[in-house]
Amino acid sequence: MNRIYIAGIDEIPQRCTLEDNDLLQITIVCPPGYSSDINFAIDLLRPGVQLDLAGLYFCTRGERQNFNITVRHMVGGATSHQLFKGILGQGGSAVFDGLIHVAPGAGQTVATQQNHSILLDSASSSETHPQLEIYADDVECSHGATVGALNEDELFYLRSRGIPEDEARRMQILSFLSPVLNRLPEDKQKFLLDRL
Amino acid sequence: MNILEINNLHASVEGKEILRGVSLTVPEGEVHALMGPNGAGKSTLSAVLTGRPGYTVTEGSVLYRGQDLLALKPEERSWAGLFLSFQYPIEIPGVSISAFMKAAVDARRKAAGKATLSAAEYLRLLNEKMAFVGMKPEFAKREVNVGFSGGEKKRCEIFQMAMLDPALSILDETDSGLDVDALKTVADGVNALRGPQKSALVITHYKRLLEMVVPDRVHVLKAGSIVAEGGFELVEQIENEGYDSIR
Repeated sequence: MNRIYIAGIDEIPQRCTLEDNDLLQITIVCPPGYSSDINFAIDLLRPGVQLDLAGLYFCTRGERQNFNITVRHMVGGATSHQLFKGILGQGGSAVFDGLIHVAPGAGQTVATQQNHSILLDSASSSETHPQLEIYADDVECSHGATVGALNEDELFYLRSRGIPEDEARRMQILSFLSPVLNRLPEDKQKFLLDRL
Repeated sequence: MNILEINNLHASVEGKEILRGVSLTVPEGEVHALMGPNGAGKSTLSAVLTGRPGYTVTEGSVLYRGQDLLALKPEERSWAGLFLSFQYPIEIPGVSISAFMKAAVDARRKAAGKATLSAAEYLRLLNEKMAFVGMKPEFAKREVNVGFSGGEKKRCEIFQMAMLDPALSILDETDSGLDVDALKTVADGVNALRGPQKSALVITHYKRLLEMVVPDRVHVLKAGSIVAEGGFELVEQIENEGYDSIR
């Protein structure tokens, strides 16, 4: 199952459980021009289920974005992957609180969480607070976060081919977001890119 | 008319002077070789010529067809017909070769006041140039340089050169680490772009590329300045006796 939620257009659930489906793919998009608080808790209730959760946020015109994501592995043998990517500029800010909870007895859990952001200027900020609560043995849990600027070598490479600086930066942003952007159908990609 | 005139160029990186008075002229339509030991400043020179950030010119000038090259942005230098084949091509995940080159070709045509190519015209150009450098058609959809072997990256640089049809190509050690087939692609690419309005500066350590792309003139860079200029005999001398034999 593949669910796509766009903040400001779709109602984003606060809670969902993963029991009947083998694989649930969820993509949350926070488009430019919209600040939101997203509180989302997902419970994995059956061994073998897989959660593939991704998020994309644009805070390029001073928007504020808060994520409070909780993934609870209530039983063992389930898998969850999270990938959140954001672009921040003109004083935009994002706070990402991500909790991975592994209940007692939920061995052989695999859970990952990645949050990466690009700051387009020094007025913008991004914070990540990963939290792991692990009450079981034999689990694989990891988290990673990066905050950086657009890569200057990439930018020069694009410009050296005659691509103007603004367009080159836009291409770099697309490049950075592509792992999440590619999960969206073309019309939704276009909707976002037209607003970038 | 000279396509490139470098006069007494001094440049530094992070406060350290790398180029110490380079003077070098490439007349229109000629292919020149630039040779020199590691650390001589060859890559710094190519970086300064193409406008890479982080390099400071402290003295001297560079004229491109009589125009002050150093006053131009990197993209403006490209529009004017300058091309650099990177020694270490950059990976751009999530951007296909086709989309990358479309943006480059469109920007260049726009700068020249020409109409944008139609999708069909662009595709024809893309397929023609990919075939020319021996790239398989499926590479058009591949992410730029991502997962490419060293040879594929260099081949892709020559493909980009062919797409952009530059007036002056700078090849920064494009032959390093290439097998014979990839080397031949590079040589064929440069040779095909030779012509009265086409020039190249081939930066290399090795004789083997210069045997395939015979330069009109050879310049030797050591410790930031040109120490010798001449014909192919300089290449032979370096191959046989090393850079120490040139003072």
